[in-house]
Amino acid sequence: MQTRSEDRTLAYQIISYTFIFLLVIFIAAVLITRALFANITVRNSLQTMQHLAHEKVYHVEGRLTKVQTLAKTSLDFIRDFNPEPTALNEYLLNIISDNDEISSICMGFTEAHNESSIVHFSVRRRNFSRHLDFKDYQYQDWYQIPAISGKSSWIEPWFDASGNGKWIVSYAIPFYSRGVLTGVLRFDTELSYLQDIVSSFTMRDNTYSFLVSTTGTLITHKNPDLVMNHTLFSIAQEYHDDNLKKLGKAMLKADVGYIRVKSESPFGDSWIYYNPLPINKWSIGVVIPYVDLMKTTNLILVIQTLSSVLLFLVIAIVVYTRIQSVVKPLRNLTIAADKMGSGDFETDLPESDKAYEITKLTLSFKAMQQSIKEYIQNLTITTQEKDQIRGDVIYASEIQNNLIPKNTVHPFGIKELRVYGILEPAGDIGGDLFDYFQVDDEHFCFVVADVLGKGIVAAMTMTMVSTLLPYIAPQHREPGQILKVLNTFLCRNNLESNFITIILGILDVKTGVLEYSNCGHVPFYIRKMDRSFTKYSETHATALGVFEDIEIGTQKMHLNLGDEIVLMTDGITEAMNSESDFLGNEGLEKILESLPAPNPEVTAKILHDRVKLFAKDATSKDDITILVLDYKHPGVLGVPGTS
Amino acid sequence: MRFTKFSFILLLAGLCLIVALLLTACGKSGGDKGKPGETVSSNDNSESLFTIRYRPKWHPQAQFAGVYMASKKGFYTNYGLNVITQSVTPDEYALTQLESGNSDIVLIDLITALKATADSTWLVNLAQVSQKTSIMLVAKKSRGFNSINSFNGKKLGLWQSGSSLISEVFLHQNNLTMQIIPVNWSVSLFLQDVVDVINAMRYNEYHQLIQAGLDESDLFSITLSESLGTIPEEGFYTSRAFYEKYPRQCRAFAEATMDGWLYAFSNQVETVDTVIEVMNQAKIRANRPHQEWMLNQMKEVVMGDPANIGKLTRAGFDNTVALIKDNFGHQTKIKYEDLVPYANQK
Repeated sequence: MQTRSEDRTLAYQIISYTFIFLLVIFIAAVLITRALFANITVRNSLQTMQHLAHEKVYHVEGRLTKVQTLAKTSLDFIRDFNPEPTALNEYLLNIISDNDEISSICMGFTEAHNESSIVHFSVRRRNFSRHLDFKDYQYQDWYQIPAISGKSSWIEPWFDASGNGKWIVSYAIPFYSRGVLTGVLRFDTELSYLQDIVSSFTMRDNTYSFLVSTTGTLITHKNPDLVMNHTLFSIAQEYHDDNLKKLGKAMLKADVGYIRVKSESPFGDSWIYYNPLPINKWSIGVVIPYVDLMKTTNLILVIQTLSSVLLFLVIAIVVYTRIQSVVKPLRNLTIAADKMGSGDFETDLPESDKAYEITKLTLSFKAMQQSIKEYIQNLTITTQEKDQIRGDVIYASEIQNNLIPKNTVHPFGIKELRVYGILEPAGDIGGDLFDYFQVDDEHFCFVVADVLGKGIVAAMTMTMVSTLLPYIAPQHREPGQILKVLNTFLCRNNLESNFITIILGILDVKTGVLEYSNCGHVPFYIRKMDRSFTKYSETHATALGVFEDIEIGTQKMHLNLGDEIVLMTDGITEAMNSESDFLGNEGLEKILESLPAPNPEVTAKILHDRVKLFAKDATSKDDITILVLDYKHPGVLGVPGTS
Repeated sequence: MRFTKFSFILLLAGLCLIVALLLTACGKSGGDKGKPGETVSSNDNSESLFTIRYRPKWHPQAQFAGVYMASKKGFYTNYGLNVITQSVTPDEYALTQLESGNSDIVLIDLITALKATADSTWLVNLAQVSQKTSIMLVAKKSRGFNSINSFNGKKLGLWQSGSSLISEVFLHQNNLTMQIIPVNWSVSLFLQDVVDVINAMRYNEYHQLIQAGLDESDLFSITLSESLGTIPEEGFYTSRAFYEKYPRQCRAFAEATMDGWLYAFSNQVETVDTVIEVMNQAKIRANRPHQEWMLNQMKEVVMGDPANIGKLTRAGFDNTVALIKDNFGHQTKIKYEDLVPYANQK
C-alpha cells in the first residue's frame, strides 16, 4: 500500500514522531503525578478525617458521659437519702428540666416492687410521668441486661413507645437493697441529638460521619433509610463488599484505623476513618468519597493536560513553520532535479541557503550537473566515433562477402563439377575463407583457409590471401609451390603475425587427378557414391605466415566418378553446445554417416544445419566455413543445370 | 309548578326505596365482624366478599410472605375472601381471641395448638405452613462452647412462647440443666454475653447474629429439627365452630394463602419488595438481605416435604405429640383426624 505523500513530509514525520514521544512521556508523567498526589492527598485527608473523628468522639462522648454521670449521681442520691416517692419523682423531673441531654428517666422495679415503676419524660419542655407495669418492660433489653448481668450498661438504641415515643439511647444501672435486686434506673438521651452531633462538622460537602453500635447497627448515617434498619454487615452482604465487612469487624473491636471501600453500596468508593467511643465501644466513622478526595488532584491533572496540549500545539506550529522554511530550497532543488531527469541539464539550480547542509547539497548537485553534462558530451563524441567504426566494419564485411564466390551449380560452366560453399562469420567480419577459381581450362583450384584471430586484422589477412591466390596459382600450378609463395608473402607483410591454416587443391577436371597441400588445417573428407567416406588428415606443412623458409609438400590422388570432397574449418569440429561439449571429429563423422548420396549443396546445408542444431543454445564463437564439391557425378553429367 | 297529591306520594315512596336500598347495601358490607383499628384488608372492594379476620403471630416480615402475596396478587379476592390482618399478639392470647370470636383464623405453632387441645377438640388446622421447626440453639465458640455438654449449667435465653417447649424437650433428652432466662426475641443479651446460649429461629435471629458481625464459623449451633425429628411449626388454625359454619371459606383461605407462598418462592425479588413495603408501612426495621435470607429459609421449611405442601402430616403430628408426652407427660385429646379436616383428602 502506498503511503500518502503528505504522510511522508518532513514536517509530518517530525511532528508525529515528536507527538508520540511526548505523549508517552506525558502519560507516564500524568500517572506518576497522579499516584504521588493521590498518596499525599489521601495521607493529608486521613489526618484531617482523624481530627474530625476525634472532635466528634469528643462531643458524643461528652454527651454520653454527662448522661452516665447524672445517672450515677442520681443513684447515689437515692441510695444515700432514700427519698419518698414524691420527692424522688420531683428530683428526677428536675434533672430532666435542667439538662437538655436527658429526655427521659425511668425506674423499673422488680415484680415485687412493681407498683413503684414509673417513667418520666419531657415533650416540648413539658414533663410527664407514667406508671409502668412489670409486664411492659420485663423482657426489654434496658431492664434485662443490667438486671441479669448486675452491671451498668449502655443499651442499643430503641423506640420508647411507653415514654416520649422517640428513638432513645439508654444508660441503665441496676440497684439493690440489701444485696437483692430492686430495680433498674434508666437515663435516656434522644438518638436524634447524637445524630445531629455526628452529622454536623463536615470538612467538605460530601464528607460525612456515621455512628455504629456494638452490633454494627448504623445509628446515624446521611441516608436515613439505613439508620436502625441496616448493620454494616447487612450492607456488606447486600453489595458483596468484603472491605465493608472488615470495617464492621474493626469497628466492633473498637479499633482505630482507616480503610477504602469500593462497591455499589451507599458508601460507594470511599475512604473511611474509624474511631471508637471509649464510653460504650460504639464507633464513629468519617467517610470521604474518593472522587471528592481526588477532586483537587484531578483538577491539577486536567490543567497539566491542557497546558501540555497547548505547549505541544505551539511547538508543532513553530516546528512546522521552520521546517517549511528549511525545506523550501530542497523543494526547488527537487523541481530542478525533475527537470534534469526529463533531459533538461541546462536548468537553473536554486541559490545557496542559510542552512549549511542545504548549501552543501546544492553545491554538490551543481557539481553533479556539470559532471553529467561533460559525460554526455563525451558520450556523444564516442557514440559518433563508434558509429563511424561500425559503418566501416559493415562496409568491410560487404567487401569480404563479395570476395567469396557466389554459389552456382557448375562454377565457370565446368560440367564435371558441382560446388557449394557456406561461410558464416561469428561477427560482422570473419577470418575464414573459401574460394575456387580456374587455373586454366582443365584445372580447377579450390581453397579453404582459417586465419588465426578475428576482427579487422583477420579479415584483412583473409582479403589479402583471397586476392593474392588467383594471381599466383596460374604461375606456379603446384599447390605446394603456390602456398610457399603465399607463406613468404604473409611472413613479409603480415604485421600482426597472424598465421593461416589452409588446404589448397588443384583438380584436373578431365583426368580426375587431384593435387593438394594441407598446411596445418583440419582434415577433409572424400565421400563415395556408396556413402562411405575417407578422412584425409595428413598435413604437408605448418600453418602459413609463421616461418618464412618452409618446404610444403604436395600430395596427389585420383578422384573417382561421383567422389565428393568435403572441406571445412575448425568452426565445425569446435562447435560447442550448451554443456560446453565440442562436436569433434566423432560428431562430425556421425553427421557424415547420416548424409544422403553426394550432392554438394545438400551435403553443405545438412552439415551446416546439424552443426547449428548441435550448438543451438550456445553463442557461436568461431566462423563456420564449409566447401563441398563433387566430381563427375553420374546423375549430372550431360545434364546441365540439374541439381 | 305544582305537585299533585299522587305525585307527592310517588316521590315519597321513591325516596323511601332509595334509603332502604342504601341501608341494605351498608348492612351487607362487613357484616358484624369488622372491628375498628384493625388495619390491613386484602381488598377495598369488600362488598360481596366474605370477610375473614386473620391474626398473625409476629410483626410483618418475610415469615408471612405467603399472606402478603396472596393479598397483593388478588388470590383472596379470587376465592371470594376479604382478609383483614389483625394486630400481633402472643400465641396464647391469639387463641383467646379465636375462642371469643374476635378472630377467625390465627397463625400459631403446632405445639401451642396441641397444648390448647389437651382437654378438647375445638381447634382445626386449615393449613400447615412450616413442615419442620427452624429452632436452633446457638452459642459462641469464642466463649468455649463446642459441644452439647458444654451447655450444662449455662444461661439459656428462651422465648416465652409455646415453641420454647421444643428447646426444653432437647434439654430434657440430653439431660442438660441450664438456667432458663426468659427473653423476648432480643439478641442483645446474647451479643453482650448476658446469656450464654440463645434460642434462635434459623430464618430470623440466627441471621441477625450474622448481621451483627458474627460469622457462622464463630457459632456453635444445634438445629433441633435434626435432633428431634419432624416437628411441624406454624400453621393456620380456626375454631371448630367457625370451620363447621364456613368450611368452604376456610378451605379457600388455606388454598389462597398457600398459592401466595408458591408465588412468593417463584418471584422472590417482587416478594421481598412487597415484604419491605409492608414493614415500612408498619414502621418495622427492615433490611433486604435479611428478608431475602428469611424468604429462602422459609422456602426450606414450607417446601421441605414437596408431597405435603400446606398439609400437617400424620408423621409430624405423631412425632410432636410423642415428644411432649414422653418428655413432659403432656397429653392431648385431639386426634389427627379431628385436628386436620383434610386428613382423608388426596
